[in-house]
Amino acid sequence: MAVSKRLGGQVLAGTVAILVLAGGERPAVQTPLSPRTANYDIDVTLDPGTRTLTGGETITWTNTGAMAAYSIRLHLYWNAFRNSESSWVKQRQLAGDDPFADTPAGDFGYSEIDTLQVLAEDGTPAADLKPALRYISPDDQNLDDRSLTAAELPVPIEPGQTLRLRVTWTGRFPKNFDRTGAIGDYFFVSQWFPKLGVFETGGWTAHQFFANSEFYSDFGRYDVRMTVPSGWTVGATGVEQSRSDAGPGRTTHRYVQADVHDFAWTTSPDFVEHQQRFEHEGLPAVDMRLLLQPEHAGQADRHFAATAAALRYYGEWFGPYPYGHITIVDPAFQSDSGGMEYPTLFTGGSRWWAPRQSNDPEAVVVHEAGHQFWYGIVANNETERGWLDEGFNEFADSRVQWEAFQPNYLAQRFFGGFVPWQFTDIALKRATDTNWMNSYRRAGDRDTLSTPTFRLWPGTHQNLSYHKTALMLHTLERRLGWDTMRKVMATFFDRWKFKHPQPEDFFATLNEVTQQDFTWFFDQVYRSSNLFDYGIERFTSEPIKSRGLMDSPEGPAFQEKTVEGMFRTTVVVRRLQAGQFPVDVLVTFGNGEQARESWDGLVRWQQYTFDRPVKAVSVAIDPERVLLLDTNSTNNSRAIEPATEAAATKWSLRWMVWMQDLLMTYAFFV
Amino acid sequence: MSILAAFIDGLRRVQRAPWLVAGLWLSTVLLALPLAVMLHDQIGTHLGSSLAAQAAAEGVNYDWWNEFLAQASGVGQSFVPAILGFAAVLKNVSGVADATGLPLVIASVVIAHLAASMFLVGGALDRLARDRALGAGGFFSACGVYVVRFLRLGVMAAAAYWLLFVHLHAWLFDRLYPWLIEDLTVERTAFFYRMALYVVFAIPVLLVNLVFDYAKVRAVVEDRRSMIGALSAGARFVVRNPATIGLYALNSALFLVVIGFYFLVAPGGASNLLAFAIGQLYIVLRVVVRLQFAASQVALFQGRLAHAGYVARPLPKWPDSPAAEAIGPGV
Repeated sequence: MAVSKRLGGQVLAGTVAILVLAGGERPAVQTPLSPRTANYDIDVTLDPGTRTLTGGETITWTNTGAMAAYSIRLHLYWNAFRNSESSWVKQRQLAGDDPFADTPAGDFGYSEIDTLQVLAEDGTPAADLKPALRYISPDDQNLDDRSLTAAELPVPIEPGQTLRLRVTWTGRFPKNFDRTGAIGDYFFVSQWFPKLGVFETGGWTAHQFFANSEFYSDFGRYDVRMTVPSGWTVGATGVEQSRSDAGPGRTTHRYVQADVHDFAWTTSPDFVEHQQRFEHEGLPAVDMRLLLQPEHAGQADRHFAATAAALRYYGEWFGPYPYGHITIVDPAFQSDSGGMEYPTLFTGGSRWWAPRQSNDPEAVVVHEAGHQFWYGIVANNETERGWLDEGFNEFADSRVQWEAFQPNYLAQRFFGGFVPWQFTDIALKRATDTNWMNSYRRAGDRDTLSTPTFRLWPGTHQNLSYHKTALMLHTLERRLGWDTMRKVMATFFDRWKFKHPQPEDFFATLNEVTQQDFTWFFDQVYRSSNLFDYGIERFTSEPIKSRGLMDSPEGPAFQEKTVEGMFRTTVVVRRLQAGQFPVDVLVTFGNGEQARESWDGLVRWQQYTFDRPVKAVSVAIDPERVLLLDTNSTNNSRAIEPATEAAATKWSLRWMVWMQDLLMTYAFFV
Repeated sequence: MSILAAFIDGLRRVQRAPWLVAGLWLSTVLLALPLAVMLHDQIGTHLGSSLAAQAAAEGVNYDWWNEFLAQASGVGQSFVPAILGFAAVLKNVSGVADATGLPLVIASVVIAHLAASMFLVGGALDRLARDRALGAGGFFSACGVYVVRFLRLGVMAAAAYWLLFVHLHAWLFDRLYPWLIEDLTVERTAFFYRMALYVVFAIPVLLVNLVFDYAKVRAVVEDRRSMIGALSAGARFVVRNPATIGLYALNSALFLVVIGFYFLVAPGGASNLLAFAIGQLYIVLRVVVRLQFAASQVALFQGRLAHAGYVARPLPKWPDSPAAEAIGPGV
């Protein structure tokens, strides 16, 4: 049904017709966009009753590196949910969270390789690698972790040569952990198949699965056949090619997608399917497929609008979305699968009671749709450099929200988190709120961004990779201007699409496009955990007076002098944290005149003096708030006649009404 | 006496006791004010002479607010956006319904208010039961007469509420609710489960509240010394007079009307004195509703078992003890 809609309402009789019309493969992308280094041909069957997957895959991998590969690395991510000894759990525990504390026996998950063979060119088994397969834990030496395996190859794979592997495996779904798993009849299937690491200059880049980090793999072509109960809706990376009967009560759905580096899918009998087409001048059209929870039936337009906004603005700012189709999955309640990106498919996340004019679900939908660009197309190593996609995307999605979804009021929830209340006095701002200044402020100095993501202090991945980066990029935007910043990011996007950039690649692009050297900036925001805080130390504006011994014809003589009609304004600004950034100092005088000084912000303090015929009324350091990483902006300004008393009175009285209401609420008990 | 008659009679009694309304309102002001002053100082210190104060004075300066919260301690930590407008009501009612703990500094004021209320409630009931002005001396004399009795009753009430809020609540919301929604994939269903559990929880809480209300009424009207006896008598009265429940529901409806009124007029962050005035009007109405519960329950009880204005204890006289000054010389 979905395919016929895409073809303008033609009713197609079946699979054969679809294949003929589509030239054998429906995805819009026919010409290789990527190196297609690791290609997967997968058959998998879901048994909902036992929550198990049984699968077989043929991996065709080409060594694009500069040296021979003597072994392979295969990820078995679901083993993170095997028991409380996995590195994933241990990292969660270090963050103060014990996800397996009360987990029933049936809710743990695992993945086991049943067979592992090297195939000859004709497809027959050439070598059995299963006996050589072993679990490795290069990152934390946790011998109980089973999320990464290695096996020596009988014959090295030289650069340019291709390896074909045949793997069969069995996996059991964990119950809704970390964006994969099952609950009820809802299955979200991600990081589900044995997946190769990335073979790079220095050998294999493959890490265990940690709570802090996400994923990294090579581009390739995925041809996946998923067998599920008949009548269940399937959503997956790519486009459905065919649907065939797989025996009593079961149907096989075949999806294909090339030039992607992962494959995720979902199935449930409950999805309500919607379709819309994104069309915008100058950008390729995209078929949007939305799999919505029935209870969110009224929110289809919000999901489509948010996805379309991401496709439009990211497309205009950075580069077009090339795949022609995208699937939005609205996750089931309690599935813990919301807010996650996969190539050409992502999960949103909404609430049954979701007031308009608060960007829920828009914020998460824009963010995950945006990941199609930062992660999907520009495919950095999320395990080690997660900030390159998460932070870039946070920065960009915040800008999209600002462009397309205003007002965005603060909303909080009461009564067990179900009843929302929208604060129409508090419209969230891009610079601080949707860039999550609060989050950065909480943990900005807990670790450095240059620490490999999987090694970040547990619980700070979001504060640093997402929010510090967003604030850092927005600071650059304010310093360089949006046009330049957009050009930097567009150049980086174009240069690194369908590749795996490193942080240095971004730094080089920035320096090249701006023709400036920003090493000083990244030394602080990337290679150190320095915080920034500039403030006004002293601000006075008084008549110019002097007293003491002054020159006179008779020699030094005592005098008291007042310069009539002149005032001396003295400003002392101070750098209160280690971070250094050039800032302006703006003094406003009583007649409206302003004086602006530029301070390089290097030394700890700086004094400015202004002699004017009027008194100053205020001073502000970084008045345009270019340095969004400044964690304390209240001390950035001073006024001669501040409204402090009025503000303090107003807010303490407002608070008092709340307190009185609390007293009256508890008076119920007496 | 019918439910409606008791309700109307209660309203009239409250109307005839404006000083009582003012006094109870004042008790909330006096208890909240010291912390408000502390908060005022914290806000003032944090703002310093910053230009941020201007925006905070004129409207909501959310950037500054977040900075303040990030650095605040003590009472300052309770200065959150949810104190704004009607969210304040949601936060407080939701906090009770979810048995959310209070920060120590806030809890100490709440406890002080409960203690003050326990002292004042005897005088308030006495005033409402007699339905005539007694003067400050008479009022506080009654407060003094009943405070120890109500302290004893309060211990029993605390035990009952402790059972409900610590044990029943935990069982309903920490065990039953997670079990009910364990495999649920529909939030709407979870929402209705939770709302249903609130109702289930509210029933015993309101019944306990109702019984203790009538225990206090009987203690005052019948001048009961034994609080176990008063509690037993209160329960008996509730059981034998379903009208008590109807009256409670009617008073609850009045409470909802007041809440609804505040929902419509609750000020946001823009205005200043008018907002404070509206807030105080709302608090006064809350006091009126609180007294209306008591007054209408007294009226119903008197209507059913005694007569309007009947109070067993003689009118207090000041001084009512055989003090030496009262005896006088040569007697």
